[in-house]
Amino acid sequence: MNTATEGLLAALLAEDDPATVRAVARRLDAALAAMPRATRAAMAAAATAVDATARARHGRPLARLTPQERERTVTGLVRRPGTAYLLDLVKIPVLLAAGTEYHARRSTPVARPAAPADPPLDCVPSAEWPQRQRADAVVVGSGAGGAVAARTLARAGLRVLVLEEGRHHSTAEFARRTPLDRFGELYRDGGASVMLGVPGVLLPTGRAVGGTTLVNSGTCYRTPDRVLARWRQDFGLPLADATEFGRQLDEVERTLSVARQPTDVLGTNGRLALLGAERLGWGADALRRNAPGCRGSCECVVGCPTGAKQSVQLSVLPDACAHGARIVTSARVRRLLVERDRPGGPRVAGVAARRPDGTTFEILAPLVVVAAGALQSPLLLRRSGLGGHPMTGRNLAVHPATSVAGRFAEPVAGAPSVLQSAGVEELHDQGILLEATAPPPGLSSFVLPGAGRALRAGLDRSGHLATLGAMISDRPGGRVTGRERAVSWYRLDPRDGRRLLRAVRAMGELLLAAGAEEVFTGVPGAPSVRTTRELDAVLEPVTPRQLHLSAFHPTGSVALGADARRAPADPLGRLRGVRGVVIADGSALPSCPEVNPQLTIMALARAVSEAACRPDGG
Amino acid sequence: MAKRRTRFTETMTGSVRLTGERETRPVRLDLEVRTDTFLLPWRTTEARVRGRLRVCGWGEEASVEGEMEISPLARRRIGYRLSFRTAGRTYLLDGWKSLSPSRPLHSLTVLPFTVHDDAQQEAGRGTVRFSLAGALLPFLASFRFPAADRGPEQLAPGWNGRPGRTEVWYTTVTEPSTGTGLWLHHEVTAPEDGSGGYAHGWVAVCPPGGPVAHARFGPEPVTPDATGFRATGVAAGPGRLRGSCGPYTWDLTEDQEGPTLHTFPAWAWRRPLLPAAQIVPGGRARYTGTVRGPGTDLTLAGAPGATGRIYGHGNARRWAWLHADLGGGDVLEVVVAVARRRGLDRLPPLVFLRLRRAGRDWPRRGTRTAVGWFGLGRFRADVGLPSWTVAGRAGPRRIRVTVHQPEERTLALEYTDPDGSRAVCRNSVTADARVVLERWWGGWRPEAAWTLRGTAHAEVGER
Repeated sequence: MNTATEGLLAALLAEDDPATVRAVARRLDAALAAMPRATRAAMAAAATAVDATARARHGRPLARLTPQERERTVTGLVRRPGTAYLLDLVKIPVLLAAGTEYHARRSTPVARPAAPADPPLDCVPSAEWPQRQRADAVVVGSGAGGAVAARTLARAGLRVLVLEEGRHHSTAEFARRTPLDRFGELYRDGGASVMLGVPGVLLPTGRAVGGTTLVNSGTCYRTPDRVLARWRQDFGLPLADATEFGRQLDEVERTLSVARQPTDVLGTNGRLALLGAERLGWGADALRRNAPGCRGSCECVVGCPTGAKQSVQLSVLPDACAHGARIVTSARVRRLLVERDRPGGPRVAGVAARRPDGTTFEILAPLVVVAAGALQSPLLLRRSGLGGHPMTGRNLAVHPATSVAGRFAEPVAGAPSVLQSAGVEELHDQGILLEATAPPPGLSSFVLPGAGRALRAGLDRSGHLATLGAMISDRPGGRVTGRERAVSWYRLDPRDGRRLLRAVRAMGELLLAAGAEEVFTGVPGAPSVRTTRELDAVLEPVTPRQLHLSAFHPTGSVALGADARRAPADPLGRLRGVRGVVIADGSALPSCPEVNPQLTIMALARAVSEAACRPDGG
Repeated sequence: MAKRRTRFTETMTGSVRLTGERETRPVRLDLEVRTDTFLLPWRTTEARVRGRLRVCGWGEEASVEGEMEISPLARRRIGYRLSFRTAGRTYLLDGWKSLSPSRPLHSLTVLPFTVHDDAQQEAGRGTVRFSLAGALLPFLASFRFPAADRGPEQLAPGWNGRPGRTEVWYTTVTEPSTGTGLWLHHEVTAPEDGSGGYAHGWVAVCPPGGPVAHARFGPEPVTPDATGFRATGVAAGPGRLRGSCGPYTWDLTEDQEGPTLHTFPAWAWRRPLLPAAQIVPGGRARYTGTVRGPGTDLTLAGAPGATGRIYGHGNARRWAWLHADLGGGDVLEVVVAVARRRGLDRLPPLVFLRLRRAGRDWPRRGTRTAVGWFGLGRFRADVGLPSWTVAGRAGPRRIRVTVHQPEERTLALEYTDPDGSRAVCRNSVTADARVVLERWWGGWRPEAAWTLRGTAHAEVGER
């Protein structure tokens, strides 16, 4: 870490102790190491730019300025809307690193109860896997869709191999390491995946055995009936029949032990959200989750350290392995092997995959289930020469989300709490779903306003912040391009932009109703507000482009559908133009599912893989 | 153009690590690959593979058998699935070369494989490489594109009514329990004078010590038949021989056991450039059924024998023929002939000899035994009765065949050629034969020897 970056950290955090600055810099460096080169370069460029500003104003680099001079430099940047937006992007990793460091210094280590042993998995690192192997079916990806497909096929008696790009992480490992340490490894690109567009959208996706289910919040919504009706009527999906799909959802819920979160460990964040909703007369309740016995560690997004959250590597994959499935880890599938000279048209023959050391291996199988996620599946199809359908990689819906924080007089963090605890469904009919989402200890998910002393003060009092998140049922406006690395683009539909602003307003109103002293809208340059009138006044000139958007549920990039011109895959999940390829992940969803999609993806994967087991299905 | 097959050999060496072991073992794979189609690299070709696998310190040298999928361009893959048995268990070696455009040589010469045991558990994994320096030339030189074997179809007649042709189906069988020999001769002769073809033939039964009993059928007018030989009460076609002649009746099914044995060069059968040519569809066959006659009540159950086919202008000036079933799938076929055609009649007896051993026909070139290398090194024959011999050398091997046809076990019959000339043929379905095969290892050393007592089928014809 260079002196410019250390100077920037000292300025942003108003930190005068060089040792603390260096410690934060080390944590930042470790977090950035997992991120793409472009992100690291952008970070270094930002530090250099701020350093250049300091030289221009004071004739000295940022690191050699007095604390007051540093403060003037960064607060000057924050006041300008353009630089404020860019500085907010820099603040995201800085706050993660600083939050972890300050939290580690403040809190005394608490001995955690011993992590329970995970159910056994038949995992083999790719380094130990032979170069040539055959199977009845290969499943690419071990996330929600891939795990269920693997289990379904294995139960049908097929020899199933699951190829996973990430590695296996045990609950004991989660209990041993800090959240930030886990963060970089569990997410693709260190969690810094961004969809290009105006505004840009942060889109973190998991990469490990268990996929994104390992790092999601455990919220389990059943697919709304109106969504199923749309899929059946507009996209011609017979499997979206409410009764039949309900049966699939029931089975998935049983597997994941889905139940409403008990209120005893809901946490202050969730209770405040429910209180605010109650005072406003809005419908709200604790969320249904797949975490029986949750102890409120509030670390869902970096892997549950107690094994309570039934991610698929604890619930579905062990059953698949018990039926003979094997998981090859650290294996990135390069391409599907396609035999184009087969009578009756091209047919898949297996996969070619790469180990981390660059060597390759191949597996021959007559059935390949693509479940690499909505961002990676289109790339895999393109690398395999199967991405020719014009809609492959398009039709990407992401559930754009933003968050609002409220500062309360009483501490919000500290006690056991659930990361995503309560849902407010008052505006769900309008495409807005509000969910109380608390950050993991030390990891602030909310971009605190200001810089320098103001930011430091906010950081020091972050334990009093309650956070709400809102996700929007969007029109599919995204697109994934590229072959090796996913380059995704997102165009926010004007209707969805209005929904986002309405959601920010609703979250602010709810927090104020719950007794928040002030509410941070998250809009750069917008001050905090203390009343709904101030909230309306602040939001009045704000456009959707000014919002910090993130997204967590990419879907639809290889959609199912009866119309061969609109859908790359047929209603049973079979990729068009080749035989033996089944799509069974979020990319198969024809349109936005309007709720957290875990159950929907798993039920869909179950339906299409059951169809693939039938004689005429593969 | 006749449909072509492909045959080649491939040798690869490398290493394998058996499951549970830390060190690798040297391994060598010698394969002989056969396809039923002409090998075109841009197509996908399924092939049969036989060969040997040697893994240092892991059981004995193992015979491997399996299949290959040769598709270097269409599927970018050359696959091998070979089963073998060693150390008391059956294993499957499964691997494929995967063509990479960025590394064509490496990807086409390196074969990674996995070995599975009969419980489908991994027993080892390894890699063998095709050495461009050491194995390329033998590999390229091994390519052969023989004509596809038409199998039982070759029992169908070649005669289309043209005058001046003779066509013969003749079946010789040995009943193994009693040693009784059976000879069924079916012949169509179309005289040169255009007087119309006629069918005739005979059946002969020879108990082990003789004498030979026989009966003739025909002659009767005949027209070309699409399926085989057909005369009143007698038929010989693919898979079936039946008929009655005098006191004899027979009804046999025939199962050919291999590809056609071309005693003459294969082209001589496809294109009638020589005065006559002979083949043995299947090389050898098994016969099941019954033969009834005076003092004869044979019930055959998989009895060994063969059906030979002759098509041409007529019998040679002098000839000798031997079919020797050597057991274990090996078979020896010999024809010695002095032609009647002007010019050819001045040549010494031409020897056409084919030894099918372990599935391979020797010598490889069809004209090798007859003409050698421009006459040098041709095989020699000394035809006479009751004994005649054939001897010759091809490559590092030499063979000596001695046939003995005792008079009491020999049946003399007279034939009429299409041109009206006559010949006498002395047939013995219970002849004796001695075959000695030697190989040069710095000196001639015995490689194999067979003695047939009453189970060889032979004839000598003269005018």
